[in-house]
Amino acid sequence: TRLSPPGKPKLTGCRSPEKETFTCWWEPGPDGGLPTSYSLYYRKENSDTVHECPDYHTAGKNSCFFNKNDTSIWVNYNITVVATNALGRNVSDPVDVDVVYIVQPHMPENVTVVVQEVDGNDPSLLVRWEPPRKADTRSGWITLVYELRVKLEKEEKWEEHFAGQQKQFNIFSPHSGEVYMVQVRCKPDHGFWSEWSSTSYVTVPDYI
Amino acid sequence: VGLGDMLERASQLSDKLHSLSTSLTNDLDTHFPPMGKILMPRPSMCHTASLQTPHDKDQALRVPESELLSIARALLLSWNDPLLLLASEAPTLSHPQNGAIYSKTRELQDQSNSLSSGLDRLIHKIGSSSKALSPLPLQGGDLGSDKNSRLINFYFLLSCFRRDSHKIDNFLKLLRCRAAKQDRC
Ligand code: NA
Ligand code: NA
Ligand code: NA
Repeated sequence: TRLSPPGKPKLTGCRSPEKETFTCWWEPGPDGGLPTSYSLYYRKENSDTVHECPDYHTAGKNSCFFNKNDTSIWVNYNITVVATNALGRNVSDPVDVDVVYIVQPHMPENVTVVVQEVDGNDPSLLVRWEPPRKADTRSGWITLVYELRVKLEKEEKWEEHFAGQQKQFNIFSPHSGEVYMVQVRCKPDHGFWSEWSSTSYVTVPDYI
Repeated sequence: VGLGDMLERASQLSDKLHSLSTSLTNDLDTHFPPMGKILMPRPSMCHTASLQTPHDKDQALRVPESELLSIARALLLSWNDPLLLLASEAPTLSHPQNGAIYSKTRELQDQSNSLSSGLDRLIHKIGSSSKALSPLPLQGGDLGSDKNSRLINFYFLLSCFRRDSHKIDNFLKLLRCRAAKQDRC
């Protein structure tokens, strides 16, 4: 194989789970058959100073993590990645990022489903959850809305319910003696849906 | 009307304002000159860029209520004239969706006026800040002459508004939670 300078790396995306920190990821290009290193550089709007990535470790391979001190919002970050090997270097296309436009929270936590039996009525399912731990919803810094989806274990189709800012939801008249699966996800007021939480199961007692 | 309800109403309006500006941006994106984003002025050129506002949570949480409200009001009032300009330019914009763009810019104006009255009532209730900020005027009262620069400047102004409306919304939602003593947050 012929040895060559590295190919062009590509910035693939950035994500902030809580409007307080963020991470950007890149894909390396061809390495030219040589050991190749990658550096991420950024310049903030209104500043001429170029900084190097403050933390290559926290978010894993091919990523840069910006902690609270390194994160401002309503400010554009102009970001590039440089690949370097013994024969030369190659620079990615730059990407402009304002953290407010890349907010995608982690999934909701502690999702529980219980069967509620009130005298004289059919049972209902009460689903409860907590916001992702890192999202500061209590101060109002981030506002989350929730959606849940429910299906009978034996069936294919999920049924979705929008819960707004509530952290619980009632599902009325579940089928007697069946197993239900429930997942919850969240979205900031202006941002992207989280992944679905892992499935919580509940068995409805026989009541008919 | 209680403070909590007033802030609830105000943050519904600011939420709507920001969502509308995002929707308008998406409309414009469907048909935009290839070089437009490169030719567009940088965000630091926005006419409100010199208004001092918090840039992260820790800064924002340290700002007293009356001052956060004053920042939100100064930002919003700085958009009175520019929003008028956007609404007057939209109908003749060289864009296939200019009908939808026009009706959304009109809606921006209406919502912005309602929010403005709401903020005045809130300031009356909470008290005005000793550090009250003044709104900033837009320099130059038109978008340019040729159709591409008009479209690019329209987009640029909108992107500035989009950022400012997000700030306003975020600050009002902080105030909403403080007023609710975290009951609903
Ligand atoms: Na890394
Ligand atoms: Na910060
Ligand atoms: Na927000």
